[in-house]
Amino acid sequence: MKRSKRTVLGILRGLGLAFYLALAIFPLLWIFITSIKPPEEVYTFPIKYWPSKITWDSYEYLFGFAKFGRYFLNSIFVSITASVVSTIIALFSGYVLARMRFKGKYFFVVFLFFVQMIPAYLLMIPQYSMFSSFGLINRLSGIILVYIGLGAAFSTIMARGFFVRIPVSLEESALMDGCTRLKALFKVTLPLMLPGVAAIFSFSFVQNWNEIFTAALFLNSDSKMTVPVALYSFISKAGIQWNVLAAGIVVSLIPTIVVFAFAQKYIVAGLTKGSVKE
Amino acid sequence: MKNRKKFWFIFWMLVPVFSVIGFLSVYPTIKGFILAFQNYTVFTFNRIKFIGWDNFVEILSDPDFLMILWNTVIWIIVSVFFQLLLGLGLALLLRKPFKGRGLYSGLVFYPWALSGFAIGLLWSWLLNGQFGIINDILIKLNVIQEGIQFLSNPDTAMLSVLIVNIWYGIPFFAIMSLAALQSIPDSVYEAADIDGASGWAKLVKITLPYIRPTIISTVLVRSIWIMNFPDVIYGMTRGGPAKSTEILSTYMINIVYYENNYSKASAVGVIVILLLLVYTILYLRFSGQGEMEL
Amino acid sequence: MKRFVFLLIVLCLMVTMVGAKDITLRVIQVFTSPERTKILENIAEQFEELNPGVDVEIISPPYETAYNKIYLMVSTEQPLDVVEVGDWSLAGMASMGKLESLEPYIADSDMTQHLIEGVVKSARIYEDTAYVMPNAVYVKTLFYRPDILEKYNLLTPPHSMGELMAYSKYLTEADKAQFGFDWRGIDPVNFMDLVLTSFFDDLDPNCMYKTTDGKIIFEDPRALEGLNFYLDLYYETAPKDSINWGFDDQVNSFVSGITPLLFQDPDTTGLLNSLLGEGNYKTAPLPIGPSGKVYPTFGFGGWGIPNYSENKEMAWKFIEFFNSPEISAYFCKNYGALPIDQRVYENDPYFSSETFAGWEKMFADPETYRFTDYPLDNPAWFEWYQLQGETQQKILLGRMTPEEALEEWAEFWKEAGL
Repeated sequence: MKRSKRTVLGILRGLGLAFYLALAIFPLLWIFITSIKPPEEVYTFPIKYWPSKITWDSYEYLFGFAKFGRYFLNSIFVSITASVVSTIIALFSGYVLARMRFKGKYFFVVFLFFVQMIPAYLLMIPQYSMFSSFGLINRLSGIILVYIGLGAAFSTIMARGFFVRIPVSLEESALMDGCTRLKALFKVTLPLMLPGVAAIFSFSFVQNWNEIFTAALFLNSDSKMTVPVALYSFISKAGIQWNVLAAGIVVSLIPTIVVFAFAQKYIVAGLTKGSVKE
Repeated sequence: MKNRKKFWFIFWMLVPVFSVIGFLSVYPTIKGFILAFQNYTVFTFNRIKFIGWDNFVEILSDPDFLMILWNTVIWIIVSVFFQLLLGLGLALLLRKPFKGRGLYSGLVFYPWALSGFAIGLLWSWLLNGQFGIINDILIKLNVIQEGIQFLSNPDTAMLSVLIVNIWYGIPFFAIMSLAALQSIPDSVYEAADIDGASGWAKLVKITLPYIRPTIISTVLVRSIWIMNFPDVIYGMTRGGPAKSTEILSTYMINIVYYENNYSKASAVGVIVILLLLVYTILYLRFSGQGEMEL
Repeated sequence: MKRFVFLLIVLCLMVTMVGAKDITLRVIQVFTSPERTKILENIAEQFEELNPGVDVEIISPPYETAYNKIYLMVSTEQPLDVVEVGDWSLAGMASMGKLESLEPYIADSDMTQHLIEGVVKSARIYEDTAYVMPNAVYVKTLFYRPDILEKYNLLTPPHSMGELMAYSKYLTEADKAQFGFDWRGIDPVNFMDLVLTSFFDDLDPNCMYKTTDGKIIFEDPRALEGLNFYLDLYYETAPKDSINWGFDDQVNSFVSGITPLLFQDPDTTGLLNSLLGEGNYKTAPLPIGPSGKVYPTFGFGGWGIPNYSENKEMAWKFIEFFNSPEISAYFCKNYGALPIDQRVYENDPYFSSETFAGWEKMFADPETYRFTDYPLDNPAWFEWYQLQGETQQKILLGRMTPEEALEEWAEFWKEAGL
């Protein structure tokens, strides 16, 4: 009786897992197939489910015709720099907002939520004129700055959440031993926080990697373009080149998947180990 | 002495984040609010002046405004509800380890790594009434006789963009819930097992209460994001046909791109912020969550 | 002493050479696509070869964001020397007061005498001054697929709107995914107007939306006839999905043969040549309406010079170079556009090939194909562009009657002071 119930549950679970997998993977699969089709088979009717011959032309086109390699490096540089900086500063403020008691703390926390509410298009004109008067237009450093700003509030909210879950006791004993607060933070708490750090970093990396709006507006030179902007320019007045865009989407997924693969170990498995002890 | 030291410690730790936010968000937001009361368009570039509430009056008297507002509400509530439900479901399925779980979750979570813009395009390609693979499959399976005009019929357009947005948001909720689920000590379940609790009882009595704070805060952050997230709709329908998928944030984009009226767009932005403030206050009051934890 | 003079000369030469190296000409385009960017870069390279010391940088923002970006760049005086401006946004750009009047340059240039008629005039949209120099013109014509028409024994393209309807109905077999007219629901302005105005014989040659006696066309009963005719093209001969189609979907549908009759601009040729191949599609003049006439418009893209540019002379030199017959032919052939220089049509057989038959016949008969203008200088134009598309969709979805739409449109233009 009990065993059969367990098998039924097992099957249901398997079905559930299969359902989610199919749902998630099917669009990606179709995009991948589109990317290896010869261009003339992209718009055939009836639809061709498998290309008559597999071709990597779209990828060649992508890296040859458009300077995709260059855009790729730019994107990596911008995303990593911005994510590292915003993660670090978020850890500082997240720590303080989680651990210290002081007047106005609640205000700061609420304020972080408020920042999330500001629509990007409200900031467009003021930010642009600000950046132009500082000479930050068409500079990767300008974009990095914007991305740090974009990520800082949410990263802080996350960091605070992680710090709250880590027991204070360890840190307190370190403080007793004569450590400074900063030292205690780095030596004792942060190692426990590594999974949290990974999560904060990967969230902010994904966001930065995919950002289009600011990059399209603030960057001019071809040599400074980022991947999403380049993909965006495949949509022109003259329509979308689907096979190339598909190849671009596939390629642009790689770094986020790499980052995620490395972070998910922490997110899924060890993320909240610290809090279990409470 | 000690207090002063503490003050400076707190100060220096907070300075980086809050100066960045002040510089990049707060100051431009104030400027944006000012812009909302001016007449900044391409045509009036040399004659910018304050025009009071005119932009707001124009927006509120738009005969479609109520519909846009309603669409926005539906967009947020339906998206968040199903993202949460399905995301939580996925997290529960993933809670216990199984062989290949790492790879599996990598595959299931990847939509999260795509840009909203790519998602919008990708799905408008899949749902295309003529070349779309979804219609083709449904016809081949004999589910339907002729292609459904997913994005060109207002009755299905909203549903389509909603489904896509839900699809996109499942991983986020799943990741967040999974993290929270992992933090439930096994001992709690073991105790319940001894008491002979059923699976359902364990879910309702242990699991859900345990992850409630996480869910409450995730839902809040998520609804704020979704309100300000036009990418999926913009990539799929631009708010059409006939504004049937227009939400406030796509409305704002369309004002920028079509009318080049930056002040009117800013006024929409101000309305968005005000609505979100009201929503947040109400939400926090009714969810009984005074202080956030995430 | 001699030595000293020699050294001085060498030094001077070096200084001028170094000085000359310093120019970076920044050119921003609007209608970005990967192919177009490549074409512009090729042209820029040739220009650099002819002008040592000049470095041309092509800025290619994604098409949808391009205008917005250019407005912001120009308004904050970002370094730019040549900006592309399309006809529809020229008035807005010019009214910002940041574009240099090109009249003195045009007056001094010997390219002017070779231009096809009306080009400079059409650029004088704002304050009767040319703030841009067109680099190509765009006129809609009828594209058709002879292979598909022949399958149905239709051997000539439709000559009139009536025939267009008859052909399209005849072709339409929904169960075989065969339709007639390549309809489009997104940003339909130009398409709807072409059909609607073909019911008129007294349109103002300077304004698409007025009759010669100054009335707004939407108040005229013929507008209702025209609008209903246009809507019937959708109801009876187009895929239902086309209510959500834009340029991209139109082209895809034409290429796949689902809808073999298409109204489009010459920039479609570049795309069709690569997707279908030259010769597999043809062009014919726009079908004439019941009035025996049809009213196309001259669209154009052009180059302007920001008045704060530090390299205005060089910028004009670039514009002249771009419009020289050889470069113009290269650009128009590869991108798909009609050259503005008469000599290109004479020198290059491509532009009198069958691909261009539609335009050639239209230009040859100004009595039937009466060119008119959109009220592009009216600040309400931007809003109109959006409004017309939306009301059209509302009609199709049954939320509004055609009569109500026409009333709203007439009201709109009255308020806008047309």
